[in-house]
Amino acid sequence: MANTLATTGIVADGVWKKFHRGEVHDSLRDLIPAVARRLTGRAIKRSELGADDFWSVRDVSFRVEPGQALGIIGPNGAGKSTTLRILTGIMRPDRGSVEIRGRLRALIEVAAGFHPDLTGRENIFLNGAILGMTTGEVASRMDEIIDFSGIEPFLDTPVKRYSSGMMARLGFSVAAHMDPEVLLVDEILSVGDLAFQKKCYSYMQGLSARGVAVVFVSHNMPAIARLCQNTMVLHEGAIRFLGSTDEAQHAYYSLLDEQSARKGESAGPTLESFEIRDSEGRPKRVFVAGERCTVRAIVRADRAYPRFSLGLSLAMPSGEEVFHTTSQRLHESTVDARSGDLIEMEADLAMNLAGGSQTVYVQCHDYSGSPSEVHRMAAMEIHVQKTPDFGGIAYLDPRLRLRKVESPAGEDG
Amino acid sequence: MTDARPVSVQVWSSSAGRVRVLRTLADTWREMIQYRHLLYQLTMRDIRIRYKQAVMGFGWAILLPILIVLSGIIVRYAMSYLSGTALATDVIAGLAIKAIPWAFFVGAIQFSSGVLIANQNLVTKIYFPREVLPIASVLAQVFDSAIGGIAVVVVLPLLGVTYGWTALWLLPLMACLLVFTLGLSLLLSAANLFFRDVKYIVRVVLTFGIFFTPVFFEPEMFGSTGAQWMMLNPLAPILEGLRLAVIEGHNLFQTLTISGAGAEVLVWSPWYLVYVFALTLFGTAATAVLFHRLEFLFAEYI
Repeated sequence: MANTLATTGIVADGVWKKFHRGEVHDSLRDLIPAVARRLTGRAIKRSELGADDFWSVRDVSFRVEPGQALGIIGPNGAGKSTTLRILTGIMRPDRGSVEIRGRLRALIEVAAGFHPDLTGRENIFLNGAILGMTTGEVASRMDEIIDFSGIEPFLDTPVKRYSSGMMARLGFSVAAHMDPEVLLVDEILSVGDLAFQKKCYSYMQGLSARGVAVVFVSHNMPAIARLCQNTMVLHEGAIRFLGSTDEAQHAYYSLLDEQSARKGESAGPTLESFEIRDSEGRPKRVFVAGERCTVRAIVRADRAYPRFSLGLSLAMPSGEEVFHTTSQRLHESTVDARSGDLIEMEADLAMNLAGGSQTVYVQCHDYSGSPSEVHRMAAMEIHVQKTPDFGGIAYLDPRLRLRKVESPAGEDG
Repeated sequence: MTDARPVSVQVWSSSAGRVRVLRTLADTWREMIQYRHLLYQLTMRDIRIRYKQAVMGFGWAILLPILIVLSGIIVRYAMSYLSGTALATDVIAGLAIKAIPWAFFVGAIQFSSGVLIANQNLVTKIYFPREVLPIASVLAQVFDSAIGGIAVVVVLPLLGVTYGWTALWLLPLMACLLVFTLGLSLLLSAANLFFRDVKYIVRVVLTFGIFFTPVFFEPEMFGSTGAQWMMLNPLAPILEGLRLAVIEGHNLFQTLTISGAGAEVLVWSPWYLVYVFALTLFGTAATAVLFHRLEFLFAEYI
């Protein structure tokens, strides 16, 4: 390989992986024609595409150094799982290669190896072995594992009587004690309650500090932003962006915009342009809680709307609306829009939000009819970063003073 | 983290290319050593779950052999009634010693051929050499059959069998049976992953296999030609060799004939040993290579 690693880590070099669309032959009677094709030399080479084949991963290259964490994100079907399976060794690439230096461990489906009829303790040994630990290693870390999981009273109960949260906690506890040099992590940090998740995060952060090379695959941009310095955005199997996580967030959210724009071509007013700028006029989609910004949207009316009003709404990924307003509500007059007119809205806002992604919608109302007509158009995915000086889901821009007002000794504070 | 352990390097690249038999076998062997703890834990899992929440408990281990022996006694009783002779105790002893390996073979193939499908979530999500799954299920069956085997070894002297030095043939024959079963379990478990109809074929073959394998009868009952045809079944030389060496005290390096129906009938030839050992060795090696080459496709085709 052209660029090898000095110590530990991962180098992926031009990795391609193809899959077959539709059914593969899975009964013996389909085997005979397939073998015949093979013998007559009409079979397709592994490195080329056949009729119903497609590239699930195309030309993916990256490297991860010790102590680095690389995030991999992308929409469904982008090739994240396939990439991860190639890294673990479950699947082999059709072209290119992956070099892994150091003890490779994977945190994927932490409870996959559990057998429901075995007790928690028996499953710790089994799962440890599945993850690559020796029986002795598991035995010597037994106390730590039990302690980390926090389910000691149930250790001699078969795991089929566990709640799914308990199973996940036990699974993660075993996995957290496997002493990797290279670690692959799949979407697993969404298990357990908040306190347990916090434990998981600090474990993951500790790994980087100890010099472990980590690859973290997730749908969850905030989780990646918390753990990874660098992020790779995958789209249709190819690298869309590879670089610092800050920039990757922009790349990922604009990719999502493109996709939703392609889907949402229906009747009604259309969104001609949309942008959010910060106070210095730079386009922006990642904000710090409390930051002020200006939203500018231009909408084209597809027909006449005598009392047309524009507004904004923000919703969480769950669909729950966080905020909405319209020009009507803010006592701005409506406009008389004719077919083809362009109407602009500009709004100054403070992003008094916390934690995570939000979808910004532009809402068009027409109050001439009764009931009024509403069109909602997804405009942009934004991300608000929590600052360490508050908690909760809203940022109330606090000013806080602290002083002593009384003291038993009667002295002034 | 500062210990001087050598850094392990793994390179994943396209699995296509020339087949290197010896290298693949060496790789498989090394991986089995490396993953011996997993092999142990999976075997323990298979043994534990068989005896958990089970009414029969360890009785299960000897139930099948007992049923085989009882069926054999019925068949042999009918045969001796027709020929007007009494049912000899060494016939029962022969049935008992052949029942255990047959029960082992049937149990091991039944459990192992579906094992990759049964552990689908492991196969698609976690990397380890997939050989450990069928091998562990065969080893769990070894544990079961060992219980029955010990029972038979204890019972045989009560049927008038005295153990001579030829009883030591037990060891190479059992080793051969184990390796043969391992090879077949690798082949069938992989085949069943790609083609789901394999399990139906396996079920039918195992059900009727007892008629094509000398468990209830001896091959020489079919005459010289018939016996030689029957000995093509790789289990036949193992089972017959076991009976001749342990019950009859025959040295398997020597040919054995009996005179019956006016002609000499060949009961045993040392070539049978050569045949079954060679078949087991090359067959299992070929299967292991095939399995190793295919295992990277398992997650894709399962």
